[in-house]
Amino acid sequence: MSYLSSEDDVAPLLYCERPEWQDVTPISQYEAVSSPIAPIFYTPEYKDATNYFRGVVKTGETSERVLELTERIIRMNPAHYSAWQYRYRTLLATNAPLDVELKLMDQIAAHNMKTYQVWHHRRLLITQLTSASLAKDPVDTATAELEFIGNVLALDTKNYHTWSYRQWLLAHFDDAGLWLGELPYVDDLLLEDVRNNSAWHHRYFVVFGRGSRSQATPAEEGEVLQREIRYVKDKISVAPNNPSAWNYLRGILEYSNTPFSTLLPFTEPYTRAYVQPTDDVVDLDNPKPSSDATLPCVAALDFLAEAYVRAGGDGVGKAVELWKQLANEHDTMRKKYWEYRIKEALEGKTN
Amino acid sequence: MSDSGQITLPPLTKASHASHCNRCLQGLPAGQIEVDASRVAIGFYSLGSLDLLGLLQSKTIDAEREAWRVWLWQQQASGSYGTGFKGSSYMTGHDRDPVVDYSEYDTPNLIMSYTSLLSLAILRDDLANLDRIGLIQFIKSCQRDDGSFSALPNGGESDLRCVYCAFTISSMLDDWSGIDLERSIAYIRRCESYEGGYGQAPYGEALGGTTYCALASLHLAPDSPTRLATWITPAHRARTIRWLMQNQGEDGGFSGRTNKISDACYCFWCGASLAILGLGEDVDSEALAGFISQCQFKFGGIAKAPEARPDPYHTYMSVAAMSVLPPSIPTDDWTLPPLDVLWNATKETVAWLRAHVTEAGIAAAHAS
Repeated sequence: MSYLSSEDDVAPLLYCERPEWQDVTPISQYEAVSSPIAPIFYTPEYKDATNYFRGVVKTGETSERVLELTERIIRMNPAHYSAWQYRYRTLLATNAPLDVELKLMDQIAAHNMKTYQVWHHRRLLITQLTSASLAKDPVDTATAELEFIGNVLALDTKNYHTWSYRQWLLAHFDDAGLWLGELPYVDDLLLEDVRNNSAWHHRYFVVFGRGSRSQATPAEEGEVLQREIRYVKDKISVAPNNPSAWNYLRGILEYSNTPFSTLLPFTEPYTRAYVQPTDDVVDLDNPKPSSDATLPCVAALDFLAEAYVRAGGDGVGKAVELWKQLANEHDTMRKKYWEYRIKEALEGKTN
Repeated sequence: MSDSGQITLPPLTKASHASHCNRCLQGLPAGQIEVDASRVAIGFYSLGSLDLLGLLQSKTIDAEREAWRVWLWQQQASGSYGTGFKGSSYMTGHDRDPVVDYSEYDTPNLIMSYTSLLSLAILRDDLANLDRIGLIQFIKSCQRDDGSFSALPNGGESDLRCVYCAFTISSMLDDWSGIDLERSIAYIRRCESYEGGYGQAPYGEALGGTTYCALASLHLAPDSPTRLATWITPAHRARTIRWLMQNQGEDGGFSGRTNKISDACYCFWCGASLAILGLGEDVDSEALAGFISQCQFKFGGIAKAPEARPDPYHTYMSVAAMSVLPPSIPTDDWTLPPLDVLWNATKETVAWLRAHVTEAGIAAAHAS
C-alpha cells in the first residue's frame, strides 16, 4: 500500500509540487488579525500539507491519497484531531483494510503514547474490526491487542492512556478467558516494581471492579478476598513503606465492609521499631517486616489509628496517640493534617 | 525545612515568568506544533499567569490586548451543534463562510470554550459578542448518554475534564439548561477510585487533575448547597482528603498519583482540591512553595520539576497554587491576588466575568 510510508522517508515532495495533487485546490489558514495569540511558526511541510487537507475536507474527498495526507499530518502533529477524525471517516468510506491500519498504528502509538487521539482511534478501529459486518474473531483480536498493550506498557509502565485503553478493551469484550490472564500480568509487573500504582489499580479493577464476576457465590467472594488480603500482606512485608499497597488493602477492606481491626495482628509489628523474633515460628498469615525495613511505617500507623478510631470507645484515645506520633515525629510534613484528624475524632466525627 | 521557618524561600521571579508567558503569546517555534489545535489554552495559561502576577498591563501593550480579543472572538463559531470557541483557526480556511461557520471537522471545542471565556475576562472584554443561547446548545451537544461530556460535539473521548468545563461554563452563564445534571453527577461519582481520588473516567486510576475536576464540578452544581453531602459522603470525603494529603512528597511538591514523583501542575490540582474541601490551611505550604521555587527556570517560566523546561501550563498552575496555598510566612514577592478556586481565575477576573456575562450585561454592552 502506497500510503504506508515509513518514517525513514526523507523530505518527500510538497503536495504543491506533486502533479497528482494538482486537481485539489489548497486552502490556506484563516488568520485575520496581525497579532494573534501564540501563532506557531509552521514548517513549510506542515503548512503545505494542512493547506491541502483543508482543500480535501472542503470537497469531501475520501480516497487513498487522503489516507496518505492525513498520515503525513498526524506524523507531524499527532494532536491534530481533525486529521484523525477525517482519516477514520476515509478508512470507512474507502473500505480500507483495518488490520493494515492497526499495524501502522502499532508504530505510531509507541512513539506517541501520551496523545489522546492515538488511543481513541485505536478504540474505533478495534470496535469496527470486531463488529458483525467484518466478523473478525473478537477474542483473537482482543488477545492480540493485549499483547500489543503489554509491549507498549513495557516502555512506560505507568502510562495513563495505555492503562485506560487496556481497561476499556477488557470491559468491551468482557471475556472470561481474557480476564484470566490479567492477574498473572499484574503479578509480573509488581515483581518488577512493587510501587507501580497503575498495576495495583489494575488489580483492583480486575478483582473488585469491572472484572469481578457477578455470578460468584458469597463463599467464592470470601475466598477471593482472603487471597487478596494474603497477597497484599506479602507485598507489604517486602516493602512496608509503599502507599500503593496500603491503599489497596484499605480499598478492599472497605469494598467488603471488613473491619480494619481484623488486621491488627498483622499491622502492629509495622508500627514500632524492629523486634528480633525470639523463636523460629513463622506466621504465614501475618508476615513480619524484615530487619532492614524503615520502621515504624507511616502508612501502618495511619492504618492502625484508623482501625482504632473506627472501633470507637477507648479506641479514639489510642488513635489520638498515634496521630500525635505522626504529627510530631514520623510524618511532620502532614502535622496539620494529623492534628485535623485528632480534632475531628475528638468532636466525634469518626466517619 | 517545613516547620523551622528559618530556611529562606528564594524569590518568586515574577518579571521573568511574565516575560516567558509574553514570549509564548507572541509566537511559538515549530517544535510546539502539537498545540496547533489548542492555542487558546496556551493563551489562557499565559494571560492567566500575567493576570496573577499582576503584570498584564505593564508587560503588554493596549494594541496587543485588543488584537488578542479580536482573535479570541474569531474563534467563536456557530453552526448545527450550537455556538462555542475553537482552539485556533487551524482548520479554518481563508475562505471562511460567514453563514455556515463550521464543518464537521472544524467544530468548536468545549475545553477551548471554557478557556476562551476566561481569557476574554482577563482581557476585560465586555462580552457583547457572546452568543449565550448558542453556547448552552453547544454544551448540550457535547453531553453523552452516560452523563459525561466530550470536548467535541461529534466524537472523541469523553471524560471528567470536559464535565468540569461544561459545569464551569454553565456556572458562568448561570444557566444549567444545557446539562442533564443527574446523569452527570452519577458519572462523576462513578469516577471515584478506591484510593479516594477520581480517575479520568469510571474505573480509572485516581489522578490529581481529574480529582480537581470532580470536586469543583460537584461544588459548582446548582443544588450543591443541599445535596453535596449525599454526593460526597463523610466517609468518601475523608478518603479523598487522605489521598490528596498523601500525595505531598518529601520535596514539598504534589504528585498526581500514588508513588509518582512531584510535578508543579499537581501542586495546583491537589492543593486546590484540598482547598475546595476546606483543608487548604492544613497543607504544608512552606514546603510547597519551596518545591515551586525550585521549579523556576533561570531564564523565566516554571517547569514541571526542577531542571526541566518551563511552559505556560506549568507556570500558570504553579502561580495559581501559590495563590490558593500561599506560604504562611508572607514575603512581598510571593504575595499574589486571591484566586477563585472553582473557576480557576483571579477573583477580580471572575467578578468581571460574572458582571458582564449575564443577559443584562451583554445587552448593556450592546447599548453602549
